[in-house]
Amino acid sequence: MLLMISAINPTVKAIAVLIPGILLGLTFDVFTPLVYLIFILTVTLLLSDIPFKRWIKFFVPFLLFIASFSWARLLYTSETFQNGSVLFSFWTFEVTTGGLLVAISLALRSLCFIALSLLFIMTTDSTKFMLSLMQQLRLSPKITYGVLAGYRFLPTFKHELEVLRQAHRVRGVGRAKGIRGRIRQFKRYSIPLLANSIRKAERVANAMESKGFTGEHDRTHYHQMTVTKRDWRFLGMMVGALFLAFAASYYFGYLNIFGYQVN
Amino acid sequence: MTKQWKLKEIVLLSILGVVFAVIYLLAFGIGQGLVSALTPFGIGPLGYEFIYGIWFIVSIIAAYIIRKPGAAFMSELIAGVVQVLIGSPAGPQLIISAAVQGLGAETAFAVTKWRDYRTRVLLLAAVLTAIVSFAWHYYSAGFFAYEAWLVGVMLITRIISSMLIMALLGKWISDQLAKTGVLRGYALGKERQQNREQDAA
Amino acid sequence: MNKMQLSPVISVHNYSFSYETLDEPLLNQLNFTLYENETTLLIGPSGSGKSSLSLCLNGLYPDAVEGTASGVIRFRGQPVHDFEKGQINQQIGIVFQDPDSQFCMITVEDELAFTLENIQTPREEMEARIDEILMTIGMYDYKHEAIHTLSGGQKQKIALASVLLLEPDVLILDEPTANLDPMSQLEFIQLIEQLQSAMQLTILLIEHQADDWLYLIDRVLVLSRQGELMEDGEVESIFQTKQQQLIDHGIFIPKQYLNSPPISKPINHSNNTEPCFTMESTSFSRKNKPILKNINLTLKKGEMTAIVGENGAGKSTLLQLMARLLQPEAGTMTFLNKPLTKWKEQSLRQHMGFVFQNPEHQFITDTTYEEIAFSMTLNGYDAETIDTRTRELLSHFHLIHEQSQNPFALSGGQKRRLSVATMLDETPDLLLFDEPTFGQDAQTTHELMEIMTEIQQQGTTIVFVTHDMDLVDQFCDSVYVLNEQSIQYHGHPAKLWEHDELLNQARLRKPFRLEMREKVGVAHDLGH
Repeated sequence: MLLMISAINPTVKAIAVLIPGILLGLTFDVFTPLVYLIFILTVTLLLSDIPFKRWIKFFVPFLLFIASFSWARLLYTSETFQNGSVLFSFWTFEVTTGGLLVAISLALRSLCFIALSLLFIMTTDSTKFMLSLMQQLRLSPKITYGVLAGYRFLPTFKHELEVLRQAHRVRGVGRAKGIRGRIRQFKRYSIPLLANSIRKAERVANAMESKGFTGEHDRTHYHQMTVTKRDWRFLGMMVGALFLAFAASYYFGYLNIFGYQVN
Repeated sequence: MTKQWKLKEIVLLSILGVVFAVIYLLAFGIGQGLVSALTPFGIGPLGYEFIYGIWFIVSIIAAYIIRKPGAAFMSELIAGVVQVLIGSPAGPQLIISAAVQGLGAETAFAVTKWRDYRTRVLLLAAVLTAIVSFAWHYYSAGFFAYEAWLVGVMLITRIISSMLIMALLGKWISDQLAKTGVLRGYALGKERQQNREQDAA
Repeated sequence: MNKMQLSPVISVHNYSFSYETLDEPLLNQLNFTLYENETTLLIGPSGSGKSSLSLCLNGLYPDAVEGTASGVIRFRGQPVHDFEKGQINQQIGIVFQDPDSQFCMITVEDELAFTLENIQTPREEMEARIDEILMTIGMYDYKHEAIHTLSGGQKQKIALASVLLLEPDVLILDEPTANLDPMSQLEFIQLIEQLQSAMQLTILLIEHQADDWLYLIDRVLVLSRQGELMEDGEVESIFQTKQQQLIDHGIFIPKQYLNSPPISKPINHSNNTEPCFTMESTSFSRKNKPILKNINLTLKKGEMTAIVGENGAGKSTLLQLMARLLQPEAGTMTFLNKPLTKWKEQSLRQHMGFVFQNPEHQFITDTTYEEIAFSMTLNGYDAETIDTRTRELLSHFHLIHEQSQNPFALSGGQKRRLSVATMLDETPDLLLFDEPTFGQDAQTTHELMEIMTEIQQQGTTIVFVTHDMDLVDQFCDSVYVLNEQSIQYHGHPAKLWEHDELLNQARLRKPFRLEMREKVGVAHDLGH
């Protein structure tokens, strides 16, 4: 049977994405993150129903962002990685093979982060994620539903921002110039937005409590979130694959933890 | 911890988190612009450091308005979660960053037992947040691979940005907000009310 | 009805409430009783504490706001504060005014489930109960919709449904229709009528404009501005014999009891045909969805024009196109004989004003004074002129005592006046209003219409979007009806009321004077 990622318990899924996200920070070689990136992409392609076009639309802009960071890493590589021959010189900088490799490693690591994130975001319903945090991790219902209540306002904020922009234009306020102008503009937008938010927070809280919400755990659940063997298998797969990547890297003599070649 | 919190305060934390999640995502665009401008010189990563304080600002605003243990931490965490829910590709890792940053700010208020919200404490919170978040990025984003001096410059820039934007701008916005009268039911509004009554007496 | 036969459900004894210990009490020594199956109307001027009272009745206040209260409220004989948290809320349900801030879940289904979870309904029973209540309110088809995509009227029905799931004894309706368009208001009221006869509810209704509710009301309570109970009695006696006292307190009198009913605006036969603004074959769409198609419109100088139509018909969009806040896809517009596209931004804003639905969106400074002076400073006037003109406007709009206050801290009516005043530093040639009276109380509406008439008399052309056909009838020289992306009627309002079918399609109601006449006619036919 094919295991679909959208059906995995959101809390378990978050953990399955977080653990590799944290552990990948250890590696400074090219091999480990490359292998794991290929693994994530395979999982995304085979086990999720994410439309490929949508995925690309999110993924590509971050290539630019990563390229910029990698460029800096290339030029300012620390002593630890300044080994190997000089590849080329630029202005007053010298780029070494060691520097190039670590820059590529970090770029691959970032791509792993992004691919993991997309895997999570694009297969997870936000309401179910919060409900699962409450049911699996005993997050307080007060926080769970408080967060969901606030989250509901997201669409209205976008609309309100647009109205504010128009209203300011009618008053003759154009684009802000200079730092002072920017700060004033930030204030002009944030005060009405926040003032309204505070009133809404109060009203929503009253409405929720008027419907008998107490914030305690003694409630039934319409959506029962469960953790099954399948969820554990998924967690095992995501973390296991990372350890396999580490092991393979070690076996082939690539593994580099914080600049120390491990072999 | 949630016992002493009122539901309206939690909803407010959440709405603040939502508002600032949107602002944070917008700030990402500004940071990207700065990065692009600085990249040819190879100091692209500094671009984000100049405005880093913006990503911490909700901690100060929430803590300064609500003044309860956990406000700084939870607001930042919620902003992190909401950014993930909206679809920030920084993803669940961003929740960890948010938690780490929130803890940094919360520490400063914990030191003063959540009783002191003068500017100096806010500044302390800003410095701690900057340092703690930097330590986390040092590990997770591989700052370790940079030359030491660049790491130093980045850290100092982040601390200054945090003090200016997070602490001072955050306090200013909150004070302006209090003047509109909508904070009457929250600690900051109540403090202002008391001050007015004392002035009147 | 004989009160002796009715059993009291809620009784209030010497009850006072205030937000701050040192404040004047918002609710002052209240004594009243709500009886089983009765519908009681609670009225009072803005700020008299009506909404706070409803939250006191269901036990959320004073705790939720750390306020102070004295006296006692009893539910079926037992003090409200003796109930365990969450328990009393199941007995006393509230539907609030703002359709956008009473939900915490994304979809209709989940929101209704939230209520059931609160009262620990077993999971197996939930779906059936959700389906049942959705059938009752006629919204079963919307079960899986996201709430934020629904109309205001639909949201209020969902709010009502989620409260009804608690099976409350008492239903408090806190201005539930204030933010709805006229047809949705009527639908909501009819729904309540059906439910009450089916479910035996005790209802407390808070409403500024209770005209349409009157036939359901058994008794009226009146709060004064000081939060004291001014009157407690039957509908007729209160609105007829106490009419003058109520008017003095700024309370809205249902139109059928008014001694001097409003009259419609006579047709203006002047030959002034000079246009102030024209729009030709203009279209606009959003995300490939047409909003407005081939619109033609002419505003004559010095006239007051209304734009009416159902919610979502594109009324606000039309206004935004006129103000060049949106760019049309096709078509041309002329303002003062000059193509709209040729106007310089600054000069356009001086000659054309725009008042938004929510005044707060337009505030950009820290004090009322600066708010009015802002545009003049921007346009480079000398300090003395600015000060003189600002003071003139402040005193004209009764804001002189509030001049150093933060605009956000003003009352609803003051905010509305300020938002208009900021547009009048120079007399504009054209002034656009987007639903200026929506959700406002009678007092503010009245003030605003007076201001608008006065501005019109100074030669300004006025356009406003509204749902209130009485305003159209009383004040407008011309009206445009928007329906299905196009203009379906243009002319004098008096003629519009003759087009029954068109009114129906566009979900518009006739002004009260005509509706009343028809109702009386029907009543006679039925032989009453």
